[in-house]
Amino acid sequence: MLRRVTWIFARRAAVVGGILVGGVLLLAVLAPWLVGDPTTPHIDHGLSALGGPLPPSSTAWLGTDDLGRDEWARVVTGGRISLLVATLATLAAMVIGTGVGVAAGLAGPRIDGALMRFVDLVLAFPALLLAILLAALLRETGLAGSLAPVVITLVLVSWTTTARVIRTRASALARSEAVLAARALGATPWRIATRHVLPGVGDVAIALAAVTFAQMLLVEAALSYVGLGPPPPAATWGRMLYEGRAYYRSAPWLIAAPGVAILVSVIGFNLLADGLRARRGRR
Amino acid sequence: MMRGGGLACALLIACGSASTDPRWQPSPNKTPRAGGTLHLAMEFDVNSLDPLVAADEVMLYFTHALFDTLVTYEPSTPDDPRAGLAFRPGLATAWTISDDGLLYTFTLRPALAYSDGTPVAAADFVWMLDRQLQKPGSAIGAMLLDIAGAPEVVAGTASHARGLVAPAPDTLEIHLARPNAALLGILAMPAATPQPHGREPDRRAPLGTGPYTLESWDEGERVVLRKNPRHWDAAHVYLDKLDFLENVPRDLQFLKFQRGEIDTAEHLEAPDALWLAVQPAWAPYVRTGQTLQSYGSRMNVTVKPFDDVRVRQALNYALDKSHSVRLLQDAAVAAHGILPPSLAGFNAHLTPYPHDPARARALLAAAGYPDGFDIDYVVMANDEALRLAASLQADLAEVGVHVHVRSEAFATFLPELMSRTGPPFAKATFGFDFPDAADAFDLQFGTAGIADEGTSNLSFYSNPTLDALLAVARAERDPATRALLYQQAELIVYVDAVWLWDYHQKAVEVVQPYVADYQPHPVWIRDYAHTWLDLGPDGEPVPRAAP
Repeated sequence: MLRRVTWIFARRAAVVGGILVGGVLLLAVLAPWLVGDPTTPHIDHGLSALGGPLPPSSTAWLGTDDLGRDEWARVVTGGRISLLVATLATLAAMVIGTGVGVAAGLAGPRIDGALMRFVDLVLAFPALLLAILLAALLRETGLAGSLAPVVITLVLVSWTTTARVIRTRASALARSEAVLAARALGATPWRIATRHVLPGVGDVAIALAAVTFAQMLLVEAALSYVGLGPPPPAATWGRMLYEGRAYYRSAPWLIAAPGVAILVSVIGFNLLADGLRARRGRR
Repeated sequence: MMRGGGLACALLIACGSASTDPRWQPSPNKTPRAGGTLHLAMEFDVNSLDPLVAADEVMLYFTHALFDTLVTYEPSTPDDPRAGLAFRPGLATAWTISDDGLLYTFTLRPALAYSDGTPVAAADFVWMLDRQLQKPGSAIGAMLLDIAGAPEVVAGTASHARGLVAPAPDTLEIHLARPNAALLGILAMPAATPQPHGREPDRRAPLGTGPYTLESWDEGERVVLRKNPRHWDAAHVYLDKLDFLENVPRDLQFLKFQRGEIDTAEHLEAPDALWLAVQPAWAPYVRTGQTLQSYGSRMNVTVKPFDDVRVRQALNYALDKSHSVRLLQDAAVAAHGILPPSLAGFNAHLTPYPHDPARARALLAAAGYPDGFDIDYVVMANDEALRLAASLQADLAEVGVHVHVRSEAFATFLPELMSRTGPPFAKATFGFDFPDAADAFDLQFGTAGIADEGTSNLSFYSNPTLDALLAVARAERDPATRALLYQQAELIVYVDAVWLWDYHQKAVEVVQPYVADYQPHPVWIRDYAHTWLDLGPDGEPVPRAAP
């Protein structure tokens, strides 16, 4: 264990990634104690004499937005929502993707073929278009107004990549001597999957999770940008970008703040994923 | 993170501030110059150029240019908010009104012709007004019911209203069954334009008497109008063409304007208005004016909780109108009712409901909602409406009313708004068809305006006392007495809090330095009848001299 930890720290990319991710997570978790209310407009005090956003100052570090709300509070709280959505969606996508991947890898060619053709079918749709369609449809259901439509959409468009990668690894493991031996000893498919295959795909899954997480952040931002994310007045990075886009000249901090937040988080998770992959390569 | 943000800010500011001053300047020449094309853009698309159908304020950009009417309005001026509301001769050189207010006689200009050369006769007005009455859901049919015999035409029992008479080719008589002091305003709407007798107006092939005529229409993309050489005042129409781009969002319009692709940009988005406000080089080219637009929220008074007047008053006390004005960069004034300050009948003794959350809470408690309530609020999907809705949401939350904002595209929003089963609480706008209190009161608050679908009375408000008052006001010919009657009507709907009153918006438009004699008009909104392009001797805009 100690050797592994030391090894990760030896990799600069993983360290930087870890620090970025850790910082973003820490801010998101502590948001309610760090910043004020991010959703209530402050028309009287939060806007300039002309009724426009205020630039960064000692009271509002990142300035205010078009409704006089503190941009720093919105970025930090927005991170909370964006990261929560991405976490839930990544977990669900990993569970589904790993389950399907392992099942396909272990099962016979017919089930494998059926599952993988279905994966191909989902992959054949442009992910963002599919996400927009799903998010728009789910908003018509009783779930509108919660985070559920966004999370479900993200899961449905992202489990396929995981399933494909895991299936490749699982089918290799299924032909390994350990699995053959277990079969010969009469182990049930369930036992083989949980005892022999899942531990073998675990490291791939973790590296995949970090990449998927970064993608989730981007897709969530894109959905929010086109108005299909969590409903206002909730602050999410994508929606903040959307709301700030027209102010690129009169209040550029409104796109810089959420833009940099997305950039930092996505880079952080990608670096971390790289580090984790590199570790796997060495093992 | 902070450092990265700061760097990005600096980069953006650097890019944004590059060469954004006007590129041109007016020429020293101060006499109007003929020729050239005015390039414009609009947010929506054109759905019809048929004067029987096209009556909304977007179509007005075209219908006003294509179709002249018996009477029209003075041009507006920057200084006088009432300028532009006074009548002046249009296709008629003169008109008389009988002492009992029941007979209007118009004398047409000599040698009037349509853009194809067909002469205009008084019988053409009779034909068109009859068509307006015959056609269900026509632009102004419901406004013409005071003409003798009109109700029979609407009911389908007659094909011609006997009150419409053309005793001579250049004389039109309109006999009313009841006096209607708003008749001139109604007849000034492009929908009351003449059409050749027997010719059915066409959606795509308008034939008119206006200063411009249709050259081409690439639907959804572009409409080009060209000067009508047969217009009665063609000598004072200077532009060769008007070139409109359809479906250009407002922020994109402003970008196009800055690139010099279009010549005017109106109804600026907040970020653009904010930017423009701090550009001294652009200040001489910003045109502001009055509009006849009122904004608020409809509350369906027939359903809970809005059936209780105390709830409606409470919401009026809860909303801080100064917030709306601020969010519109001061291009608005707080409203106490539907009449803009420039219209006769505006009750200057009333002030907008003050922002008084304590009073609002007390009223809600008295109405049986001590803990407030949850309610959906529907607005049209655009940044400005959503921003104002967020402000309303916060103000109402302060008194316990939790508003869930929902936004809809224009195409679905409008039918929902005009339906009895639509959302009881929704953003509402009233744009005056003609500058007269009767327009707003009859349509918005009169019982006759109520319909299950396509209602013009958005709050479904019905008050026999008000109906009686409006009937008296409509017939009253003395302007001062009439104004007093509408002030009384204003008081009634104010106390009954029929809408959640909010604001009247002002027009703000920026033009290229070479666009001369162009001013937002309170009725026509965009009025380019006498606009000209102040170009250099070579026919090109004069480049701006270094300051």
